[in-house]
Amino acid sequence: MPSAARAQQNTMSSATDFTSVERYEAPNQQQVKTRLSGAEAWPLSGGLLEVKRFKLESFATNGRPEVIITAPQCVYDQVNGLASSPGHLQLQSGDGKLRVEGDGFLWRQNDSLLTISNRVHTVIENMPEMKPAP
Amino acid sequence: MKSVYIIATAVLCGMTAPAQTNAPAPRPPTVIDSESAVFDPNGHQVTYRVHVRVNDPEMKLTCDWLVADLPQAGGRVDHIVATTNVVIDGTDAKGQAMHATCARAVYDYKEQNGATNETVWLTGNAKVENVQWTITGEPIIWDRVTGSVTASNQVMTLHQNLAGAATKTNSPPARTNVPPGSIDNIDKNLHSKNQF
Repeated sequence: MPSAARAQQNTMSSATDFTSVERYEAPNQQQVKTRLSGAEAWPLSGGLLEVKRFKLESFATNGRPEVIITAPQCVYDQVNGLASSPGHLQLQSGDGKLRVEGDGFLWRQNDSLLTISNRVHTVIENMPEMKPAP
Repeated sequence: MKSVYIIATAVLCGMTAPAQTNAPAPRPPTVIDSESAVFDPNGHQVTYRVHVRVNDPEMKLTCDWLVADLPQAGGRVDHIVATTNVVIDGTDAKGQAMHATCARAVYDYKEQNGATNETVWLTGNAKVENVQWTITGEPIIWDRVTGSVTASNQVMTLHQNLAGAATKTNSPPARTNVPPGSIDNIDKNLHSKNQF
């Protein structure tokens, strides 16, 4: 669960409008750290939400987008700050130079760690210029 | 620790230095595949686990565990650690294949005061070989800027006559402890110190 020190705002205005925002601690408390959203959401038992068209965005303290994670579907545990799915996932860095996809994931909101369980495929643009091998 | 510096010169190793330009051509992307991975966006780090395969335009690397520091916006990957059953395959400027194995490979890239440092440290039963020679040492340091290889406690095994003889034989490779210095004179060293 996100710490109490973190300003967090959860809204469930409708089944088609789900957003959970986590902010940085002071002195950057006005800056959004992560924004978790979905096009559709249905409550499940145990405080869980089934989210369709899941999207998770993380931002630097200056507001620059760092990572964007999308998945067709996931289950979001509001109490423990966990999002997971056995399905497909895509990740892209804010500048678009890093693209990742895989199957099955777990997002831990507490420590902002994303585990991709299977078939991880990463494409990195503009790696350092390689020199000939010795 | 005694260090032996080996200059992979164009003359003896069949390599030519790449042309230096201020605007390097865009490179195809690097692809990394693995069974699983853990991303830490805040720590700008990703850990790949199990059957890690790196497919770079100029080399291929496999290992069981790879940690890469993710670049900041507009930056580049500047630190990679590959561990467990590390195998690196690549080609030099002439398309000559090279093969390296070790338990741990560490890639570092740094720019300071206009100078670029780009190295790969190989440790843990490290070995680098091409069609002409095999080098073992601890560590083996591959300077990617100069193309040179530095090895400590180095042992080199020659696979063929570096003097350029056209004859092809099945004679066993010469095995020698190369003294500190350049392999520019490796043939002379062999003649003077190792009479086979």
